[in-house]
Amino acid sequence: MALDNVSLKIASGEVFGLLGPNGAGKSTILKIMVGILRPTTGTIRLGEHDIVTDPEKAKKLIGYLPENPSLYTGLTTLEFLQFVGKIRGVADDLLDQEISDSLKSFGLEEKRNSLVGSLSKGMKQKVALIATSLHSPSVLVLDEPLTALDPKTRVSVKDWIGNQTKRGVTTILSTHDLDVAQTHAGRIAIIDHGKIVAVGDVESLRRLANTASDARLEDVFLRLTEEKGEEPARH
Amino acid sequence: MSISGSVGTIGVLMRYWVKGRFTKGAILGLVVGEAFSVVFILFGSSTYLSFSNRVGLSTGLSEVALSILLALFLVGLIQSGFNGSGLPVSSSDVDYVFTSPVPPREVFAAKVLLNSLTTVLFGFPPILVLYLRFSAYYHTPWPAALLAGLVTLIFLVIGLLLSADITLSLGHGLGERKKLWRNIFIVLVMVLSLLPITLLIPGIPSGIGEVARVLPNGLAAAVSVGLVSGTTGGLAYLADVSLLFAWLGGVLILGVRMSRQHFYDLLEVSVPGGEKFDKPNQVSRLDPRGKSIWSIVRLKEKILISRTREARAQFISAVFLSGFMIIYALSGSFSSSPTSFLFILFIIGSFGSGTASRWIEKERLWILKSSPVSMRRYVKEVYRARGAPLLLYLVPVIVAVGVPLVLGELSQPSLLLGVILALPGALEIASITMAGGMFFASKYGQSSTDDILSSQQQELADIRRFLFQTIINLVMVSPVILLVFVSETLVTILGSGYLPILAIGLVTVSIAFTVLSINFLLNKAGDAVSKREDL
Repeated sequence: MALDNVSLKIASGEVFGLLGPNGAGKSTILKIMVGILRPTTGTIRLGEHDIVTDPEKAKKLIGYLPENPSLYTGLTTLEFLQFVGKIRGVADDLLDQEISDSLKSFGLEEKRNSLVGSLSKGMKQKVALIATSLHSPSVLVLDEPLTALDPKTRVSVKDWIGNQTKRGVTTILSTHDLDVAQTHAGRIAIIDHGKIVAVGDVESLRRLANTASDARLEDVFLRLTEEKGEEPARH
Repeated sequence: MSISGSVGTIGVLMRYWVKGRFTKGAILGLVVGEAFSVVFILFGSSTYLSFSNRVGLSTGLSEVALSILLALFLVGLIQSGFNGSGLPVSSSDVDYVFTSPVPPREVFAAKVLLNSLTTVLFGFPPILVLYLRFSAYYHTPWPAALLAGLVTLIFLVIGLLLSADITLSLGHGLGERKKLWRNIFIVLVMVLSLLPITLLIPGIPSGIGEVARVLPNGLAAAVSVGLVSGTTGGLAYLADVSLLFAWLGGVLILGVRMSRQHFYDLLEVSVPGGEKFDKPNQVSRLDPRGKSIWSIVRLKEKILISRTREARAQFISAVFLSGFMIIYALSGSFSSSPTSFLFILFIIGSFGSGTASRWIEKERLWILKSSPVSMRRYVKEVYRARGAPLLLYLVPVIVAVGVPLVLGELSQPSLLLGVILALPGALEIASITMAGGMFFASKYGQSSTDDILSSQQQELADIRRFLFQTIINLVMVSPVILLVFVSETLVTILGSGYLPILAIGLVTVSIAFTVLSINFLLNKAGDAVSKREDL
């Protein structure tokens, strides 16, 4: 998906939501942010580091969870997390403790020595989340973290996101779940056809969409994606 | 349901499966694969005939060799039968065919017919080339080769049916004991097939060779070799043919009887890129304490290889390469033509590097690309982990083959240099083709979460990859082959006094070239991974 003139500034510690229909370009923005895709023009800066020109330092700050995270199915949960921790530069003395704490908080202690390939989808998502945050990143980039999860797993993933934001981690969240966006995100960008249609908190988005002050985010979203403006409206 | 109705249903199923299987990419792949197989068969059979001529047991040895080769095929089918893959099914079969009211027996018939058709299409050209080469050697007419090929095809169909029967039998109380039965079957086939080798020991009664004829592989070998060598005729021969057809009838009837009832739960559904593990719980072996990032990367790769069937595939390909090297050395062709040895080794290597070239499917690019590690270095470490076991298997074989060869050629300095260069050349070629395989996988290989390419597009991409890989790898290894090629002329021009210096110098040059080539290919592979947009 090609992006067109996308410009976003996200403050440290902010929880930022990305909303948009399928194929709007949400995942593309996130992949560019984390350095998986290279932008044809423009820059992406994480604090002082440019993700294109200074990728190693910038990537140390980021924890990324793709929409469909595939894991090394032939490793045990513990091995997988040890491997990810190591390549993300977590010190040996911290790694074991971090893994144990994370497994405990997700109720996966018993699965330490289970092959990742034998875990359920929900468990794999939890393992992927642990892998994303093992190195205590200051920026979390989460692409549809709640897709196709059962209600119980959704609750634990939502709790996890809440805890990260409480810790002051900057979180950029792409989601179809408007409830999650409304609950967690301070500001939301609505993207359609590769362009930012609107950016702001829920109240300002309601005003932009000319909806009632108690309108659901769903209605706001539908209204804004029906009317595609050339320039993004900012509040 | 009437017979005509059943035939109609089987026809419909086969028509759609054929449409799904024989796509443009698959047909192109078939042609490319067949061309490679034919070249390999021509080289391989010529080497074998030189070897058997030297040993002096031409016909008898051919029967034994073919019987063992077919036995290996049978063992593979027995294993897949016990794994539940005797009747290969895809997830779309489960969704659309197994939920339809088509009777199980008709599904069984359609599956067996389609598998047989595919096997015949894939197997017949190289088999025919093999027998044509044999009939040229034995001065028999070409229809004999054609008939021999058909007999071998009957054996292949027997094997497929046997595999299907074994899978169907899993539901008849075999359950927990299936591993035991599988091992008994495999040991029985191998022991009976290998018994005729004991004939090489003086004093062993000749009747022992007949034991192998109990099994379809022994029968097919006896009948086929009999036809191409012109030694057919007599009651024994007729008995062999009858027994072979009895096997065919037996496994067919057994399959038809067992497929009367629902059997779908016995089948293993093949998932592209899906891996199977024997035990869901394992002892964690990746302790990172005190280890560098790169040793952890290598350790991770070794663990993944050992827990999947890749370790077995790697071992088999090393055994295959080693076996070829030994037969080539024993046949006498090595000394007279070390260049052709390297060329044929390249062809085998092109197939053999398949395990290395599949590494990208097991990689998880989102983890790597969102981490601060260097992709160039990462790919090199993966190569080290994957290349080490292959070289570990091959080095002792090269030493074992090389020492007697070098000693035997001491009196002929002009040939000796070629042999000396070709021995490490074998390892160099294996190493370069492996690095080339990794580069092309990085560029064209499908990653685990790549859902953009349809299966047809992926097939075409695979063919393109295979062709590019073969051509570029050939270009990369050609200096190593060329050095061997010119070695005789160099010794002739400079004189045998320069042999030690030439040998040390040229081996050093070829090793240096190999190291630089591998480095170049792996850097390219790392860059290709960095540029990929999929995860």
